[in-house]
Parts: sequence; C-alpha cells; structure tokens
Amino acid sequence: MSTVKRLRSRLFARGGAAIAVEALLVYLFLYLPIVVLIGLSFNDSRYALVWNGFTTKWYRALFAGETVARVNPDAVFATLANSVHIAVVTVVLSTVFGTMLAFAIDRYEFPGKGVLTSVVYMPIIIPSVVMGVSLLVFFNMVGMQTGINTAIIGHTAFDISFVAVVVAARLQSFDDSLEEAAKDLGANEIETFRYVTLPLIKPGVLAGALLAFAMSFDDYVISVFVTGSTDTLPIFFFSMVRQGVTPGVNVVATVIIVVTLVVVGLAQWLQGPTW
Amino acid sequence: MASEHKTGDGVVSRRASLFRRLREHRWTGLLVNVAPSGFWLVAFFLAPLAVTFYYSLGRSGAFGVMHLGLSDLGLQQYAKLLVPEGASGIEAVWISLAWMLEGLIPLDIELTTAQPTAFMRLTVKSVLIGAVATLVSFLVGYPTAYYIGRIAPERYRNLLLVLVILPFWASFLVRIYAIQLILTADNLLTDLMHLIAQALAWLPLFTYNGNLMNSRFAVMLGLVYIWIPFMILPVYASIEEIDFTLQEAAMDLGADRWQAFRKVVFPLSKPGVMAGTILVFIPSAGAYVIPALLGGPDSQMVGNFIADRFNKGDWPLGSAASFVLMAVMLLAIAAYQRYSEGGELA
Repeated sequence: MSTVKRLRSRLFARGGAAIAVEALLVYLFLYLPIVVLIGLSFNDSRYALVWNGFTTKWYRALFAGETVARVNPDAVFATLANSVHIAVVTVVLSTVFGTMLAFAIDRYEFPGKGVLTSVVYMPIIIPSVVMGVSLLVFFNMVGMQTGINTAIIGHTAFDISFVAVVVAARLQSFDDSLEEAAKDLGANEIETFRYVTLPLIKPGVLAGALLAFAMSFDDYVISVFVTGSTDTLPIFFFSMVRQGVTPGVNVVATVIIVVTLVVVGLAQWLQGPTW
Repeated sequence: MASEHKTGDGVVSRRASLFRRLREHRWTGLLVNVAPSGFWLVAFFLAPLAVTFYYSLGRSGAFGVMHLGLSDLGLQQYAKLLVPEGASGIEAVWISLAWMLEGLIPLDIELTTAQPTAFMRLTVKSVLIGAVATLVSFLVGYPTAYYIGRIAPERYRNLLLVLVILPFWASFLVRIYAIQLILTADNLLTDLMHLIAQALAWLPLFTYNGNLMNSRFAVMLGLVYIWIPFMILPVYASIEEIDFTLQEAAMDLGADRWQAFRKVVFPLSKPGVMAGTILVFIPSAGAYVIPALLGGPDSQMVGNFIADRFNKGDWPLGSAASFVLMAVMLLAIAAYQRYSEGGELA
C-alpha cells in the first residue's frame, strides 16, 4: 500500500469528523460577517471599525430622526416606503400570475410547452444587469416615464418565474385523486379549488410569495436602471456604502437584516416550513 | 310567478352549461392560466430583449444621440467589442482564439502586433473568475452538503438546512457590506486572509498588493459568500436521495471508502452538482454589485462594463456587450453540460 493510499484511507476513516469540522467552518463563514456587523452597530465610536464600548446611541438618533454619521433618516424611511410599495404590488401580481402559470405547466400538455418552459426559466438565468438595461432601453423606446410603476413591472417580470418554479415543484407531488374525490363528493370547480387544491399547495404559494418579496425588496441591479429618480432602499444603501463605512451605515444595515429575518421568521412560524 | 321562475332557471342552466362547455374544452383552462403571465413575459421580458438587440445594431452619436435608422444598422458595435484593433477577417478570429487559449494554458503563442480588445480580456477574466468562484463553492460546499445529508443526526437536518438558507433571506447588499467591514478591519482574521491572498497571488488570476479590499481576492470571497447556498442546497437534495446501501455494497465487494465514494456516491450526486454549478456560475460571471463594492479598478467585471456604457450614454455598445455576455454564458453552460455527460438542469 502506497503512502498516498494509506494517508487517504486514514483520512477517510476519520472522514466523518473532518467533514463535520469543515461544515462548522462553512457555517462560521456564513454567519461571522453578519454577527460582526450587528455587533459593530452597537459600537460607541465615530470610527465604525474600532471597538470602543457598547452603546445604543446610533439607534436612538436614527429613530429620533437625527442625522447620524452622514445618514439621513428621512431619506432612509422614504426609500423604505418606496421599496415596500414596489415589493407588495409585485408580490400580489407575481404570486397570482406565477401560480396560474405553474398550473398551466403542470396540468396541461400542449404544443410549445417546451418553449414556454424555457422562457419561464430565462429570467432566472439571465444576468440581472442585462435584464436591467434591457428594461431601461424598452421603457425608453415606448416612452414610459421610469419610476415606481416601471419598477413594479420589471420586478414582476422576474418574480413570475421564481413563483412559477417554486409552485410547480409543489404541484409535482400533488395527488390528483384528491381533487377527483372532492368532485365525486359534489364539490364544484371553485369549491374544489378553495377547499382542496389551495390548502394543499399553500406552502408552495407562500414560499413563492415570500421569495418574490425578498427578491423585489432586495433588488438593486434591476431597480437602479428602471426606477429613474425614485430611490429604493437598496439603491440608497448602495450609495451610502460607496461613501464609506460609518456607524450610521452599520445601524441601517442591522435594521434591514433584522426586519427581513423577522418577516421570514414570522411567516415560517405562522405557516410551517416555507422552504 | 311560476313561469318567471322557470325562465330564470332556464337562463341559469343555459349559462351554467355554457360555462361547463367552456371549462371542459381543454384549451380554455390552459389559456386562462397562461394568458396573464404569458403577456407579462412577452411584453416585459422578451420584448425588452428584442429592443435591446435592435439597439445593439445601431450607432451612438455625440451627446447620447442614437442612430437607429435602417441605414445605420449593422454589426459595428459587435466588431468594436470583439475584433482586435488593426486586424481584420480571419486574422482577427485567430488572434482572439489564440489569446483566449493562451489565457487558459500558457502556449507561448507569438501574438502579432494586434491585441485582443479590452472587452474580450474583461469577458475572459469574468468567465475565469466565475469559474474559480464556482469551483471553490463546490470544494467547500460539497462536504457541507454531505455532512447535512448523510452525517448529521437526522433530527438536526432541517435546522442545518434552514441555517444555510437563512442568510439568503438577509439582504444581499447588507451581506456584501458585512464582508467589506471584515476586510477593512485589522485583526487576527484579516491577518489570516492576508496570508491566503498572498498564497493565491501566484495564480494568474490573482494579484496581491497588500490590500484586501478592492482586490480580486475580495471579489472572489464575496462571490463565494453570497452564492455558496446555491451550491449546498441542490447537492444536499441529490445526496439525500442516494440509497447508501449501494455504498455498503461497493465496500462489501472490496472497494475502500475513497473508491466507494468516487465510483458510487459521487456519480449519484452529480445532478445536484450540475445544478449547483450552473446556479453559482451564472450570477458569478455576470456579477455587477460585488465587483462594484469590493473590487478595485483591476477587478471590475463584464457586468460593470455593461452598466458603465449605459451610464455614459453609449447604449448601442452596452446592448451589444449584453448580448455577447449572454452568448458566452450559454456557450459555457452548453459546453459544461456536454462535457458532464448530459446532466440536466434542476
């Protein structure tokens, strides 16, 4: 047995432990930056990176409407409102349309189905910068003023795909005989959908909606091309980060992280696992 | 009264039967389900791409004026992006090909005076950065997925999966900012990263000038940090489906652990690896935000080139670059799928 082989078999004999350590390091890698960020937002120092004791003064200042370390709270909350507006309308449109699309793909055989399916996948695999510029060129050509509405249109265009893919995955494991049973027992089309189909696919639809919300709320690349002079929270945050690392940026970043995780956690708690 | 009732019933039942006939016609349900999203995708996804292609054939004049008349249309933007200056025709193709090969394997090809365009260098660099980020994600993510799907106690599996997905729900920009915080700090962790960056510097793709921020190392770190869940999840899904009695059978038949893994377990997890690779490669090679925030002037990628052309008002050139980027990615994915013996996406 060669040395290499011996070493390899030794490594594999202890493989379980080695892999466990590796996995632990990956989890550290995923969470350490976020923990550092949240920690530094409580840092009592003008310099964002030098730890100087615990304080909540940056939070108090932000929520009291004071400008903290070059971060203007009015602008933060105004862009937050824009982002929520765009995300909510986008979620409604893309969840309804995307779910219908998933039904079409799952339940019907028709000519051109292959083409339709690849068109549905395209927005997921095309680089977002390309989607952003193409929407900009398009709105310019048809003469639409860019703003909140064009952002909603653009976000819906890619969110439909994400919802359709998630719901279609759920529909694949759907037992059609349950619907037939409902109809045999006298339920009409609408009742069947309302009391049998919808509850069964609800986790999928909810996961799709949540994904759509996160994608829209978090989107920078497409928004920056299609919102014109209307800023969303990611666009505002991007320009803040460009200007440098400050305690104010840490606080806004922490608020964004905590709010999104609370929303996801709440949905999770209310509806059971959504992924 | 009675007759009125009858008429009413008749109307209702006639309506109901029309409704039923429509419903039973197989095309109606399909049309109703497809129409809204079909309209949306055609009008606001395919049409914009078509318009962008049209712009890519035009010319840009001074002060952001675009020439898009029939006589202006042509492939001049594509030529500007792809044809080396001072070369023409077949020579241009040869120079570009030779240069790309040279980038992958040092062949010591004597390039003539003509050099590939800046855009080509940028595109090749982006594909390489994307490929390396994908490879690192695979090397780091596969064992993690294996751990979750095979080694971890079953009751912790869901929790471990949730912990992989959770950062994905936290804002993308905020997480990139968190990486920036870590890279700009000065402590034991950054010392360690300096060592890694220094060790990587002998690779052609990396440069190390003493800074962590605004380097290709930072871009790579950001890409792996953001996209690694997209590698772990599909690989985990594949590993979870594997019947591990096959591994035991291989070992009963005399294979050692490594052989059993390489010949039995890994091939069975390949669909997940295929999906994960494509899911990580596409956003990595087409990245825009990560190089913009973490990269320096030498680590901007092709996404930044496109955005830059648009910000500077040269829409035809930016449009053409978008289509070249999409073509390069499709080719890369097609080549990868063929090479990996026809695996399937998702």
